[in-house]
Amino acid sequence: MDYLSSNKILIVDLETGQISEDELDDELVSQKIGGVGITTSLYETYQDRDPIILGAGLLTGTLFPGSALGVISAKSPRTGHVTHSPFTLKAGMEFKYTGFDYVVIVGKSKKPVFLWLHDGVADIQDASEFWGTDVWNTTDSIRKSMGDDLIQTLVIGPAGERGSDLAQICVNYWASGDCWGFGKVFGEKNLKAVALRGMGLLEISDPEDFVDQCFEVFETIKGGAFAGKSGVEDILTAMGEKDAKEWIAPFVHRHSACYNTPYPTNTFIYLNENPKTLTEPTEQEPGFLINDVGALLTLKRAGLSAESACRVLKACAKYGIDPSAVAELSARSGQKDPDKIEQSFVDLKGTVSAPEGGKFSSWAPMQPLFADFDLSDESAYGDWWVRRQALAYLFGIHPIFANMAPELSEELMIEMFNKGTGLDLSQETLDQAIADVCL
Amino acid sequence: MRIDVDALKCIGCMACEMACGYHRDDAFALLASCIVVYRARDKKDYFGVVIKEEESLTIARPEGLEIKRIGVTEESSDSGQKKEADASAKPMLLREPCDLCSGMKYGPMCVKICPVDAISLIEGGE
Ligand code: SF4
Ligand code: SF4
Repeated sequence: MDYLSSNKILIVDLETGQISEDELDDELVSQKIGGVGITTSLYETYQDRDPIILGAGLLTGTLFPGSALGVISAKSPRTGHVTHSPFTLKAGMEFKYTGFDYVVIVGKSKKPVFLWLHDGVADIQDASEFWGTDVWNTTDSIRKSMGDDLIQTLVIGPAGERGSDLAQICVNYWASGDCWGFGKVFGEKNLKAVALRGMGLLEISDPEDFVDQCFEVFETIKGGAFAGKSGVEDILTAMGEKDAKEWIAPFVHRHSACYNTPYPTNTFIYLNENPKTLTEPTEQEPGFLINDVGALLTLKRAGLSAESACRVLKACAKYGIDPSAVAELSARSGQKDPDKIEQSFVDLKGTVSAPEGGKFSSWAPMQPLFADFDLSDESAYGDWWVRRQALAYLFGIHPIFANMAPELSEELMIEMFNKGTGLDLSQETLDQAIADVCL
Repeated sequence: MRIDVDALKCIGCMACEMACGYHRDDAFALLASCIVVYRARDKKDYFGVVIKEEESLTIARPEGLEIKRIGVTEESSDSGQKKEADASAKPMLLREPCDLCSGMKYGPMCVKICPVDAISLIEGGE
């Protein structure tokens, strides 16, 4: 595949330490598109070796609005089925530029390792010195040892090392959309992290038409339904939590966006610094980036103060445990003390309900946000959400943003595919690709 | 005319950086962009934008704009400490300066693509 691609699938065998490469076949892209379509296909090929697959969507890392998504596919320790979780911030984009389109990781390493992907090179490196450290320390150590603060990490903490079903693969220092326990899969493979840095280049089949279309779409959505809104608190408000903004306002520092995503889905709160501070804080760890809407909502509804809720979320990200599961368990037990909730992480076992969402992460709220998508009523949300998420995970669109921008239609995605790759995607093939990943 | 950035409006999305990269390479890549989001201090939520111009680096920090002449190290007036651009901005010195997207039909692409209108074209040279 010459366009929107590095034309490389990497296969990493942690048991033997062998690394090999395949080309990304045009035929595969024509049929399966990208993202979850291809990770699913690779899962089937390598299923005997308990693989975990990383990938990016077809449009990830381009100028197409919302093109922030990377995807992890594996069998979920929590459901026993093949499921998919998104990773965003800048990590999806960084993955796309590492020089690999998809990475299949099989086998179990004899000792702790991390996988270092950069500039078309893959190295399995010793992680013994990071094993036992939390998510934040691991990311700090990897960045320091490589001398590059822009390295993005998919990383586990103690929860993954100890084999908790609730373990999450985090992104850098923060939560991710992994509600499937993929942190445990990393831990079982003795894989502490995947470190990403990309300096690659993506050619476009018809650059002028493709970029013209990106600007046109951008102009349409810029004044769309989410205009003037920002952060997790406005998403909560759209979900009916009317006082969310007021609740968290005293701690909000700034809002930020995942790569090329016009809506800033992330809210940074300061806990140990004045949130109004504009200069660089002297405190090294002044706060936390909230990107899990569902976890925050559950903690709020359980009666925690905004400060307590944020402390819980920060502790989850350091320990590498799914904050939505922790929030659900705390709400059930009535525990509101962040220190006590944190102390419970060690023994927290999987009595939590299986995540909703079928194969896609319920990290993206299961409803339209700000826009109405012409749905008749709430009974239509379920089917709509699954198809919308499938589309986002195939093309590489931020899965929360996909639920706020009806302008990103299936017809438009087909057009972008054709302009970007020079191949010919039809609605029938798209329907089939969606059906294949939803089965 | 020159590019101006209001770092307080910026949400750090990097769309400007990729648009500039496209202007340089006719493909998607970040290596040649002359507008770069500095984002290495993510644990502190401290981010802004750096632009390479012919003879200066414009650093748009949340607390305000700083223009550094290339080759001159200045003392910052507020803290007395030497201020440097972020690590991610250092290779900037090797990049082509902003040419306001000369030859592109879109005009300055970073201005056009910014979702929060943090970038504008203003009167004045360097
Ligand atoms: S105007 Fe063009 S060349 Fe200048 S910074 Fe913006 S995108 Fe780059
Ligand atoms: S496009 Fe605008 S919001 Fe995005 S990083 Fe550039 S200046 Fe900031």
